[in-house]
Amino acid sequence: MSLERAVIVDLQQRFGDAVLSEQATADSISTIWIHRNRIVDVLRFLKSEIISPYKMLYDLTAIDEHGRKHRANQPASRFTVVYHLLSFDRNQDIRIKVPLEEENPSLDSATSVFANANWYEREVWDMFGIRFTGHPHLRRILMPRSWEGHPLRKEHPARATEMGPYQLPEEKEAKEQHDLQFRPEDWGLKTHDENSEFMFLNLGPQHPGTHGVLRIILQLDGEEIIDAVPDIGFHHRGAEKMGERQTWHSYIPYTDRVDYLGGVMNNLPYVLALEQLAGITVPERAQVIRVMLCEFFRISSHLVWYGTFAQDIGAMSPVLYMFTDREYILKIIEGITGGRMHPSWFRIGGVAQDLPLDWQKPIQEFLNYFPKRLKEYDTLVMGNSIFKGRTVGVGAYSQAEAVEWGVTGAGLRATGLDWDFRKKRPYSGYQNFDFEVPIAHNGDCYDRGLVRIEEMRQSLRIIEQCLKNMPAGHYKSDHPLTTPPRKEDTLVHIETLINHFLNTTWGPVMPVNESFFGIEATKGSNGYYLISDGSTHAHRTRIRTPSFPHLQMLPLLARHGTVSDLMATLGSIDFVLADLDR
Amino acid sequence: MMAEYPLFFAVLIPVCILFGFVTAGSMLIWAERRLLGLWQLRYGPNRVGPFGLLQVVADTLKMFFKEDWIPPFADKSVFVIAPAIIMTTVLLSFMIVPVSPDFVVFDSSVGLLVFLSLSSLGAYSVVLGGWASNNKYSLLGGLRAAAQMLGYEVFMGISLMGVVAMTGSFRLQDIVEAQRGMWNIGPQFIGFIIFYIAALAETHRSPFDLPEAESELVAGFHSEYSGLKFGMFFVGEYLGVTLMSSMMTLLFFGGWLGPVLPPVVWFFIKTTILISSFVLMRATLPRPRYDQLIVYGWRVLLPLALLNLLVTGGIVLMFQ
Amino acid sequence: MLIYFYINAAIAILATLLTVTAKNAVHALLYFVVSLLALAISMYLLGAPFVAALEVIIYAGAIMVLFVFVVMLLNVKPASSQKYAPQGHIKNWLGPFSLLILLILELVFVFRDTEFLKRQVVTVSAKEVASALFTTYTLAVELTSFLLLAGLIGAYHIGKKRN
Repeated sequence: MSLERAVIVDLQQRFGDAVLSEQATADSISTIWIHRNRIVDVLRFLKSEIISPYKMLYDLTAIDEHGRKHRANQPASRFTVVYHLLSFDRNQDIRIKVPLEEENPSLDSATSVFANANWYEREVWDMFGIRFTGHPHLRRILMPRSWEGHPLRKEHPARATEMGPYQLPEEKEAKEQHDLQFRPEDWGLKTHDENSEFMFLNLGPQHPGTHGVLRIILQLDGEEIIDAVPDIGFHHRGAEKMGERQTWHSYIPYTDRVDYLGGVMNNLPYVLALEQLAGITVPERAQVIRVMLCEFFRISSHLVWYGTFAQDIGAMSPVLYMFTDREYILKIIEGITGGRMHPSWFRIGGVAQDLPLDWQKPIQEFLNYFPKRLKEYDTLVMGNSIFKGRTVGVGAYSQAEAVEWGVTGAGLRATGLDWDFRKKRPYSGYQNFDFEVPIAHNGDCYDRGLVRIEEMRQSLRIIEQCLKNMPAGHYKSDHPLTTPPRKEDTLVHIETLINHFLNTTWGPVMPVNESFFGIEATKGSNGYYLISDGSTHAHRTRIRTPSFPHLQMLPLLARHGTVSDLMATLGSIDFVLADLDR
Repeated sequence: MMAEYPLFFAVLIPVCILFGFVTAGSMLIWAERRLLGLWQLRYGPNRVGPFGLLQVVADTLKMFFKEDWIPPFADKSVFVIAPAIIMTTVLLSFMIVPVSPDFVVFDSSVGLLVFLSLSSLGAYSVVLGGWASNNKYSLLGGLRAAAQMLGYEVFMGISLMGVVAMTGSFRLQDIVEAQRGMWNIGPQFIGFIIFYIAALAETHRSPFDLPEAESELVAGFHSEYSGLKFGMFFVGEYLGVTLMSSMMTLLFFGGWLGPVLPPVVWFFIKTTILISSFVLMRATLPRPRYDQLIVYGWRVLLPLALLNLLVTGGIVLMFQ
Repeated sequence: MLIYFYINAAIAILATLLTVTAKNAVHALLYFVVSLLALAISMYLLGAPFVAALEVIIYAGAIMVLFVFVVMLLNVKPASSQKYAPQGHIKNWLGPFSLLILLILELVFVFRDTEFLKRQVVTVSAKEVASALFTTYTLAVELTSFLLLAGLIGAYHIGKKRN
């Protein structure tokens, strides 16, 4: 009996009737329906009472089942809450689903089991209106406090044109103003203790140190941070809601804009999830092209992080050098894809075009040029003693804390856990590449930096291998759902011509199923959970982004440091606000 | 000639010094941006006039015509006085700077002490500016500035006492003349390093720009300032850099001494090189944390400065 | 020269008065700084440039900045100083007032002898100040240093983190 089966049997023995049913999904992650009464116990059981437990709450979201036609063998449900757990020991995931039948349901909060459930549950409340009883601070997280309705419910309009013209009558203005006023109690903050009266510093949403529209409320005693409360949602653009109205194909450009520094890296988990759903096998050449571009974007994103991190510490020049190098990469990317930051270049079943003629030359030049620069930056930034003084031992967390808070990517590897999705769950042919996964051990700002810088070197190795071993063959699959199908074939086969016509007009119709795919993106693990109801667009598109849990952890890192430490920590986390708010 | 027309020179010298240094200070804004551009693989201002030289004029005009805004929540009188203090103290400091043996406004027997006292008064500008703005970021900037300038003044004073002990005078002309054999940078190398660091901290230039740390405190103590008042802080900072560089030239690099070229030119060359080194520091170094800066000052620089004074005093006594 | 002295003295007295009467703590401190600066100039005029410079460096430049720093930290609002406004009660005034009378009498007694006003102003150099401190007034210097040391230790004790 496989480990996976064993868990399900254990669950059935332990919880009996509370285990409602099992569901088969395209991603072959065990999916189990649990009765709402026992959900917290089940989560606790999976987290700490089995061998090789599921230690990380990787994602928590919900599905509005309204209007979903194909739900064979699934318990009746109006809203379904989905818990996605990850086990490092097993290298396996498990998905727990809880059916809720009421129009305004409520459910026990999982915050007592998983610390990072906090923000996820707030998001579900905000988006679906599902209440979590026992949640310490259940209030809207992404939408403004005065927002009416819950956007990811099916009855909530997706377009502004469906909502009637915007109006701001006086009473509404007064209400908005009132909501904007800062009252420490609303955020669970005390104004004073027996020794001192605290100062509240409102850092952001417009502040040069927050890299975008992020607000952090700081409770200060002198310059020491007593508590920090991030206020997010300023960059929320409803990317998940748009997934429900765009066709499978036309949603690709939206993914680019989630982590806007990651470029095509954002396309990858989306198209991989779709290919998994549709059972498309991607030709090798397309896989290698995808890997090469992704690694370019990894370097480009890390360069932006590197420069702005140094800038946050007060070094002025590195960011300018690094943007110069990034420009080099963007030129190469422009040569291949025609786009720079948001090429939207991956397609369901392949990539948009074949590589241009003579594509090797600029890449080879870059490979010769860049390692020297990295060495120079090591002396200028990482080797500088002031820089070390600002980052070593600052903003540190342990491996256990990282797992508890759902940290992935370089932040997790800096605590000594050798976990890289490219190695552990190779996708898109990463198993064929020779590269190492850099780790560090202290989990502080400096180590997170070290890991990322070494990652750039490893990415260069991967790019070099792509350059030397680019396979011949097609850049697109010949599966009928490939969108758009290869043009050459449409001139020969009537079948392909029909597919081309359908896929580019209506959009491709994906088979009914559910599919999740997570990859090692630039900032951590980025994953897409797609539910197809057999139509041209998704019934639900869930984007699991790394910045969301990373930033949720901020108060833990900020406490008892100074404002300067907070800036170093923020810089070292490497987040993008669009990745946070989606 | 000076003896023949005393009144004429009594007016000419101050006017020359004032205009000379103020021009130099504001040109420094342009020079810094161009130098930073050079070091950071970009151009810097190059549109207004030849090499962008008139950028300063354009900026000044802009500042003059901007709305001179005082926030309603600010302490008005202090808010207005604060930027004036930095301009006044720095400009007054230039009166004791001898650019050549005779070319000085105020030939004081305690010239060095006048410089130190005026620079210690300069701290008020930043502290009061931060307080009067009644803004939390400004207040934090002001607090940082107070702690930083207070601490670094101590070492600045002590680091110079080695030079004074060697010369036996506080008069700057005497100090320069005493360097005919060898510049003080040789025997007083430690003193120079400490003074240089303290000078960076006093002018709150990067890497010691904590009072206005952009990524942390937005613009620190001058967040609420705009228009001409901001301009005074801005130019005051550059004048401070010029002043500190002139002082280093006088105290450690033999002031106007040098072969062939006239004294004023030598003074100018040395000062310019030192000013450029300030800009280079800004291009290179990250910023330490506030507590690190303070600890570094009191635990490293202060003992070092005292030791330097002790050793210098001992050697001076030995050769008497 | 004398006219400078009188202007300066007037500024000193005015600034000191304003220090005592100012409502805002920071304003009061600023008037105090002005008063100290005026005193320094008086000293310079009386032929003690070294002491004048030290007065500015130490008192006006360092100690008073520290005071401003503390006031900023405590964030004293103008309203809170109302609490300590004089109550007008006679017995609150009695002590300070009698001490003031005593001080004035003392000054009158000292300035009865006007001989020193006719003396020529002689500049006292730094060297003379130093040798006076380390010969004639050694004991006073040592005692002062003890006092400062005590203050230092006291400050360290208070500033130490309470666990």
